[in-house]
Formats: sequence, C-alpha cells, structure tokens
Amino acid sequence: MTDIISVKNLIKQYGNFSAVNDISFSVKEGEIFGILGPNGAGKTTTLEIMETLKPLTSGEVLIDNIDVTKHPWDVKRRIGVQLQSTAFYPEVKLTELLDMFAAMYDVTIDPMEMLREVELEDKAKSYVKQLSGGQQQRFSIASTLINQPKVIFLDEPTTGLDPQARIHLWEMVRKINKAGVTIVMTTHYMDEAEQLCDRLAIMDHGKILKIGTPKAFIQDLLKTGFKKEIKQEQANLEDVFLNLTGRQLREG
Amino acid sequence: MKKIYRRPHQIRAFFVMMKYFFLAQTRNPATFAFGFLFPVVFISIFGLIGNSTAPLTIGFPATSNLNNPIITAIKQQSIVKTQVAPETQLEKDMKKGNLSGIISVKQTSQNPPRYQVNVITSTASPQTAADITSLVNLIVDQENLRAAGVTDPTITIKKQQLAGRQIRYIDFALPGQMGFALLSTAIFGTVFGLIYLKKALVLKRMFATPTRAITILLAQGGSRLIMAVLQVLLILILGIVAFKFYLPHGWITFVELLILSIIALVAFLGFGYFMAGLVNDENAAGPMVNLITLPQFLLSGTFFPITDLPNWLQPIANFLPLSFFNAAVRKITTEGGDFTQTIPLMIGLIIWGAVMYILAAKTFKWE
Repeated sequence: MTDIISVKNLIKQYGNFSAVNDISFSVKEGEIFGILGPNGAGKTTTLEIMETLKPLTSGEVLIDNIDVTKHPWDVKRRIGVQLQSTAFYPEVKLTELLDMFAAMYDVTIDPMEMLREVELEDKAKSYVKQLSGGQQQRFSIASTLINQPKVIFLDEPTTGLDPQARIHLWEMVRKINKAGVTIVMTTHYMDEAEQLCDRLAIMDHGKILKIGTPKAFIQDLLKTGFKKEIKQEQANLEDVFLNLTGRQLREG
Repeated sequence: MKKIYRRPHQIRAFFVMMKYFFLAQTRNPATFAFGFLFPVVFISIFGLIGNSTAPLTIGFPATSNLNNPIITAIKQQSIVKTQVAPETQLEKDMKKGNLSGIISVKQTSQNPPRYQVNVITSTASPQTAADITSLVNLIVDQENLRAAGVTDPTITIKKQQLAGRQIRYIDFALPGQMGFALLSTAIFGTVFGLIYLKKALVLKRMFATPTRAITILLAQGGSRLIMAVLQVLLILILGIVAFKFYLPHGWITFVELLILSIIALVAFLGFGYFMAGLVNDENAAGPMVNLITLPQFLLSGTFFPITDLPNWLQPIANFLPLSFFNAAVRKITTEGGDFTQTIPLMIGLIIWGAVMYILAAKTFKWE
C-alpha cells in the first residue's frame, strides 16, 4: 500500500516551547490511523499542521504527495476536517450549512443525501445547537465528506458522547473507511484506539513514543515480561451498561 | 508530483456565504432589535416631538373678567393655548411647569374703559416668561394706540418673512438615526459576530476549505451591507411616509442618501474588523466597542447639533467618522445642498475607513 500521508522531521515551536518535537510517521492509503496521547501531547497541533491550519516551523508534510506548505489549496481540496468543538455558523440550518460548504469547496452535492448518510435527514431544518452531542459529531463528519476527500481528520470525535453514541459513531467511521477514505483521528480512549484503529502512534511531550498496530503494542509489552493481574472477568461494567440499556442510539 | 490545481474559485463561495450569513442575521433577535425596532421607535418618538406646537400655555382665572379686548386678542394668537380654571388650580399647574403664565384683566373704569393687566410668570423658565411679557406688551400697545385713535403711528415695524421651510426635529433627527443604525450594524454585529466565530472555531473550520479568509470576511461584510441598506430604507420610508421627512430633490435625494449610506457602512466596517481582529474575547470587546461608539452617538450630531457643544469640543466632534456622515446627509436634506457638496465630508469618512482597514490588516488575529 502506498503512503497517503508522510510526515518527516516535523517541528512546531512557540517561542522556546516545542509543541511538536521532530516527529516522523506515515499513514497508508485506506487505513484508520490513531494518534493517542494525554492532553498537551501535541496531537491537535500535529493534526492542524496536516490540515494546513497551522504553519510548521520545520520539516515536511506531504498529503497525497502534495506539500502542505507549498500547495495548501490543493491539500485543502483533498482532505476533510473535523475540529475538536463542533464549529458551525449559528442560525444556519443543516442543509444550508452543507450547501454553503459545498460552495466553499466548489463542488455540487445533494445535502439531503449527505444527511441520510449520517442518519440526520429528519434534522434537516434544525440548527446545529439543537442537536445532541452525537448528532453534532455525525453532522460534523458529514461536513468532512462534502468534497469526497481522500483523507479525513477527526479530532477526538467521541469525547463527551455516551456509550451508545460512541459505538454508533465507530460504525459510521468504519463505513466511511470501507468506502475508501483514509482516516486519521486522535483519541483519549484506549478501547476506541484498540477497536477502531489499524495502526497507532502514541505521543507525549511533542514526541512519538511508539508506532504500530494495537496487537503488536500489546505483544511487545508482554514480551518484556509484563503481566497484568489476571481477574477472571468475562465482562466489564460497560458490558453491563450496554446489556441493560441496549446498544441502540438514544437521541431526541 | 501530482497535477496542481489552479487557485480556488471564490466567486460562488462568496455569494453563497453572503446569502447564508444574511439569512443568519435575519434569524438573530439582536439584529431585529438593534437594526429595526430601535430605529422605528426612535423615529416615531422624534416624529411626534416635531409635531408638537403651541409652546405657550396661558391660564385665565375663572373668576376674572374674560370679556375684554386684551383677552380676546390673546386668544387669537396662534402660538398660544389658553385654559380657564380657578386661580388656585392655575397656580398649582404653573408650579408643576404645565403652565407658562397666568393673565388676568381688571377693568378699572367703565367710561372711558380702562383696564389693568396682571401677568404672573414663573421664575423657573425665564424664556417663556419673557415671551409672554413681550406678547402682552405688544397687545397692550396695539390696544392703547387704538383707544387713543392713532391710526398712523410714528414708528412702524415692517415684518417680512422669507419663504423658508420650517425645519422640524424629525428633519434633524432622521439623518442621525441613519448614522446610528449604520454604525451599530457595522460595529456591534461585526465585532461580536467575528469574535464568536473565532472562539467557536467556526472560522477555523472554514479555513480548512479552499475558500480564502478574505472571501469569508468580504461575504460577512456584504451580508451586513445588505442588512444596513434595508435598515436605511426602512428608516427613510418610515420618515417620509409617516412623518413627511423632507427630500429636497425627491427620489434623487433618496438615491443619494443610499449611496452615502453604503460608503459609510463600508468605512464603519473597517472599525468593526479592526476591533474584532484585536481582541478574542467578548468581555474585552465590550468596553472597546463602547469607547468607539458611545462618544460618536453623543458628539456626532446624532441626537443634537454639534453646534450645541462647548466651543473647544466642536472641532474634535466634527472630525469623528459619524459626524462626517451625519453632516453629509444633512447637507443634501435639511440644507437642501448639492450632492457635490458632500464630497469633502465623504473624503474625510473614506480616510477614516482606509486607516482602519490598514490597521485591521496589520493587527488581525485569526485565533
């Protein structure tokens, strides 16, 4: 598989502080790539540099073989972006927002069809602020697909969602990925990283500590002789919760 | 290397964004209140102030002699409103300020008839007191001449009135209201609107598209321009239809007013962009916006003429951006001047705007 993203020796400095400190990695076409790390690790900064939203201090970032610094407009055409907070113009309805973004990407779309994709067709005439957290994230994801991007970037897409909404969003992300879109996402949740991502990069203090598949990570750790205290539990509390409340989505 | 696209198209994005930014404004209750409700209320109040006449109210005590030539002559004065009531009641009214003066006439002899006129005025309003006194003097002199049989007095006054148009308060206030609406729309809307868009990452999300930042700002400005033109139209039409606001050259003046308004809004938007770029927080923006707008609302001839200000303040007040607009509008309305006379004033305004756009370009922070 070819690399759709290649990051080489990326550095981002604010004064003397290095938010991103010489990282290199690549993302293969068609994979779900996760960036894990605590708050302030440099995940969002890395994402925003790839999204052309922040200039880099040094290094090179190629998206679909295009340099983000030299040709940002061509990169913008090829990517979809979801920011940490749901960032949409107030007092504009969902279909209108999609229509507006279509004009901003200079493409033609059917807004209702896009809403159907993310199961929001009955919210067509609502404003974003009237949606639940999960619905807002789904709408946000719909907005990333307007220009039929090769890569979409999702910044903590499930933060603040209830378990049902999270599972629902994972399914949506898998569906988009199956359709051929490469996905780069950040998350705080280990279970999300393990279940959803093909490969992971673990970041802290602006550095990448480790890159690989979730399975390989665990194998490597076990090889060092690491042993978790084994409890014979066939289920955890989340299983109990989902068993009691069901896996279906709850939304107004 | 892949094929590199040409520069992104901006025209379609501009118009579609402008359409939705405008729609969003119409759905915002604050736009409705500041942009439409306030001007309508102000205009209506000022229109009614302009219509009030009869500035002198004179009371006659009920017990006094009302059938004499003096009282009859006073009653005939168009600028006087009279009322008859018991003397104690009249005195109460005058203390409250509802009455300008009390006049009673006592007949001191029957043949030949002699009269004594008593005038009571209030020390609270020397101007009205003087008006009433001179009115009574005038009438008494006329009656004395008539009683003395003088038909050809030594000195006569020839009164000549120029066929001037009566300037009512609405004719002064309406241009001020146009300026008020334009400055409010340009500054409040832009500053608080853009700060919200920055804080909520709305602008950042838009920057992730191939639409340029300048296109987004222009579409913002364009949508405010449409809104402002609608406000000005509403103010003008309301003024013309309900309060007979005077347009010296009819629809030509109307179009000229719209042109002045558009230039003014574009200049005022420069202030909005400058301030919106400088601060990232509504709390910091509040005092700044007030610092820029309040002095202009008070000093730029919005509610009262700049000539009423202390002498040392007038030169400063005349150079405020809103003053240029207000003066230009009055030049072609109340003063009945030619459109070319507004050019020096509009140049003043354009210089203000240009300075603000340059400052905004230098200091604008996107996040």
